[in-house]
Amino acid sequence: MSTQLTLQAPLELPPSEVTPYLERLWTHNLDGSSGAATFTLLVWDPAWLEQHLIRTGRLDGPITGLVSDDLVREAVAAVPDCGLPPSTAPLAPDLAWSLGQQPGDRKANDLRGRHVDGAISAHMPRRLITLAPTLEPAEALETLVAAYCPLPEDGGTRPACGDVVVLRGGMAALQQGLDLVNPLVGSDLPCWVWWNGYLDEAPEMLESLAPVARRLIVDSSMGRPRRCLDVLEERIEAGQALNDLNWLRLRSWRESLAMVFDPPNRRDALNHVVQLDIDVEGTHPVKGLLLAAWIADRLGWHLESSYRVGGDDLGDGIGADFLRTDGVAVRFRQMPVPVGVPKTHPGSLVGLRLICEPIGRPPLCVILCSESGGCMRLEAGGVASMELAEEVVPVPSESEEMEVARLLSGGHDSTNPLLAAAAPLAAKLLPD
Amino acid sequence: MTVTLTNPLRVGLRQERVIPPQCLVIFGASGDLTHRKLIPALFELFRQRRLPSEFAVLGCARRPWSDEEFRSRMGEALAQEVEQHQQAWAQFASGLFYEPVDLEQPADVVRLGHRLDQIDRQRATRGNRTFYLSVSPAHYGSGCRALAAAGLLEDPQRSRVVIEKPFGRDYGSAQELNRIVQACAKERQVFRIDHYLGKETVQNILVLRFANTIFEPIWNRNYIDNVQITAAETVGVEERAGYYETSGALRDMVQNHLTQMLALTTMEPPGRFDPEAMRNEKAKVLQAAQLANEAEPWKCCVRGQYSAGGSATRPLSGYRQEPGVNPNSTTETYVAMKLFINNWRWQGVPFYLRTGKRLPKRLSEVVLTFRQAPVHLFDAAGGAPTPNQLILRIQPDEGAEFRFEVKAPGSGMRSRPVDMGFSYDESFGEPSDEGYVRLLADAMLGDATLFTRSDEVEAAWRLYTPLLELIEEAPWQLPVHPYEARTWGPAAADSLLAEDELAWRRP
Repeated sequence: MSTQLTLQAPLELPPSEVTPYLERLWTHNLDGSSGAATFTLLVWDPAWLEQHLIRTGRLDGPITGLVSDDLVREAVAAVPDCGLPPSTAPLAPDLAWSLGQQPGDRKANDLRGRHVDGAISAHMPRRLITLAPTLEPAEALETLVAAYCPLPEDGGTRPACGDVVVLRGGMAALQQGLDLVNPLVGSDLPCWVWWNGYLDEAPEMLESLAPVARRLIVDSSMGRPRRCLDVLEERIEAGQALNDLNWLRLRSWRESLAMVFDPPNRRDALNHVVQLDIDVEGTHPVKGLLLAAWIADRLGWHLESSYRVGGDDLGDGIGADFLRTDGVAVRFRQMPVPVGVPKTHPGSLVGLRLICEPIGRPPLCVILCSESGGCMRLEAGGVASMELAEEVVPVPSESEEMEVARLLSGGHDSTNPLLAAAAPLAAKLLPD
Repeated sequence: MTVTLTNPLRVGLRQERVIPPQCLVIFGASGDLTHRKLIPALFELFRQRRLPSEFAVLGCARRPWSDEEFRSRMGEALAQEVEQHQQAWAQFASGLFYEPVDLEQPADVVRLGHRLDQIDRQRATRGNRTFYLSVSPAHYGSGCRALAAAGLLEDPQRSRVVIEKPFGRDYGSAQELNRIVQACAKERQVFRIDHYLGKETVQNILVLRFANTIFEPIWNRNYIDNVQITAAETVGVEERAGYYETSGALRDMVQNHLTQMLALTTMEPPGRFDPEAMRNEKAKVLQAAQLANEAEPWKCCVRGQYSAGGSATRPLSGYRQEPGVNPNSTTETYVAMKLFINNWRWQGVPFYLRTGKRLPKRLSEVVLTFRQAPVHLFDAAGGAPTPNQLILRIQPDEGAEFRFEVKAPGSGMRSRPVDMGFSYDESFGEPSDEGYVRLLADAMLGDATLFTRSDEVEAAWRLYTPLLELIEEAPWQLPVHPYEARTWGPAAADSLLAEDELAWRRP
């Protein structure tokens, strides 16, 4: 689905004029048209990587806030220039930070907030508020406003209108602009907050933008692992409707693993798991830990302890001991593995191995491999003597915006129970 | 009996397609279908987290119920489910509303519009509405007209109408109803529901045929000898005598459920999996179908009516003794017929359809019998080798079976048939959803793939027009043969196949 620009160029107004202007707009200019009774979408959209790629001359611009193919290609190309290991994912914070240390002062148009992905605009947000921090921390606050009434393509007679508000400026200016945001959100429609940045940046901003009553969308692959898992755990505990894009990207792994145990003659093996191994790209462990926690939760394992285990060049892995419901121990190991061509997000899964020892039957070894990588490490180590079930897990091809749009299209005011159970356990699995 | 363990990793994975915010408006909300099928299906969707928080059900009927009364009646009807999932029910029930509406009264429909606006604000349902006409078929046309007159169908993106079967009672009335409905809404807003299409195994016919390379090359007249489609019920007419007396098995089952199974079994592969491509192919194959003898339709069709039967301890009444049935009724409770499909794929292959009430087993199945092996090299346990059969079990125990010959153990070279089976419940961790769960979800998602289009409905009625005319004008030519309750129908139905040296499969 192609991106859509607002029909009119947003009008720049002084911050104090925004609310009165929108009130006037709805009572006078758009009087009689039905405002979309949909939702408010509040986006924290720093696009640090994109801004730095443009500033250093690697990307032309404009700044859109979207993860385009061009952006990913240029980010991959920048990894060796920044002296980072080849396993560094294009969206890893290390890359944006390293680019930030490089010289450059190229500017580009900033279309953040105006450049709405078609998948999202199809759901006609009633109000789309974008907070767009700039690289220059002292930059003053700019506020832009536009209304739009997209006519339904198929000739519907009731155009549903919405408006777009963009707050752009340095961090300090955006902090000041927060006073403007809450009155704009309103309370009569659901509000979604998409934290489209790193989870360890601007914690006060996250607190202000996403109180418990709002539905929060985060990506737990973006930020320091401990902080990412803490955010998940805290928000779930507080009763917030939390959606994690990193968890959603586990969908094909969960489905593939469930599929292995669909045949009735395999199901009993799930009661006899003795070992779980997960390999992840690079050093970000959260996605792997969420998968392990989901398995442990579904199979009723009790976590005894978690600890660091020796790894190779990339650093330590994570080990843990679980107890099954029948008291038998399960050993868990998650290891970082180097890859030549990393996927877009940090900590993508490379492979999973589950070893079961059913009573009176030969051991069963289940290996799931990402279609973009190999599983040689997991295939080694004596599995040849076991019954082997090996599956290739497809790499999801959907953009962040498509995932967000799917959430917006049919939202829940509570956290998915599987994520709610897995995230706190994943937090416990990460050793301090 | 072996106990099948559930797959704990499968739990919660059915969350892929989430229904967008909307209000489902059920007309006929005080009727049977609402509390027996629709509300349970919606509650199931809710428990699967496939309904968004911004969702509401507005029940509409003439009775002057309040929101609370509607909620409590639905809760009573689902007592067992509610007991097991009290918290979920409380949450779900908070989205149930009721508005007394008589669709024949314009003022009521205008009031309904205001109530919907109010619910939009209250539940943030975004103006998306699905109108479900669970009313008497006589009111389908007027119901659509009333909704259109009140402007409730104006936006083709945000409003749609679901219409229950029967859609018309013959070719002419179906054409007329289509004309009315299409004057009120665009075709893609109209979802004609046939709950058989919601069954996993019916949909699996498509996957089996078009996702595997081994079946499609042999799915034609060169390899298939005949096809039998059966929908057998053990129940009698029950409380539906009033409707059934004017309908009979031909209208109640054959024109819709059996014809849809026929279409899916025989259609050409669509170019892509989208509603229009699918429905184009279904319509095309139905247009190519015809009774085996259109000039003398009594030669290719048998009607039957169940008479008293059962056992000494559990006697069963005959149809004419059922409450509400005319003691001299000539309504058929059983019908069997032979069809052909005049196209390159199926020319000359007979299709036998049968359905009936008070048969020995409740089951629906499609049985494809393949041609005999050209040369019999081996002795067969049954005299001659059994032809290969592919049996698609629609219900119960949804799944499939393939029957083929193997060497019987022993020193000789004798063959005997064995069955290779696949069961949905056993192969997947969870049992299949009820048909209404799937179809309600699809309607609310705007996915029309499993709903019948106007030309399909008309083609299906046109196919049976010679029989309907005969029953109307010269019923003595198509007499109703009595059959004892809990038997496999009248002997005349067996003769229909015996003429082709075949027999009905005894499941």
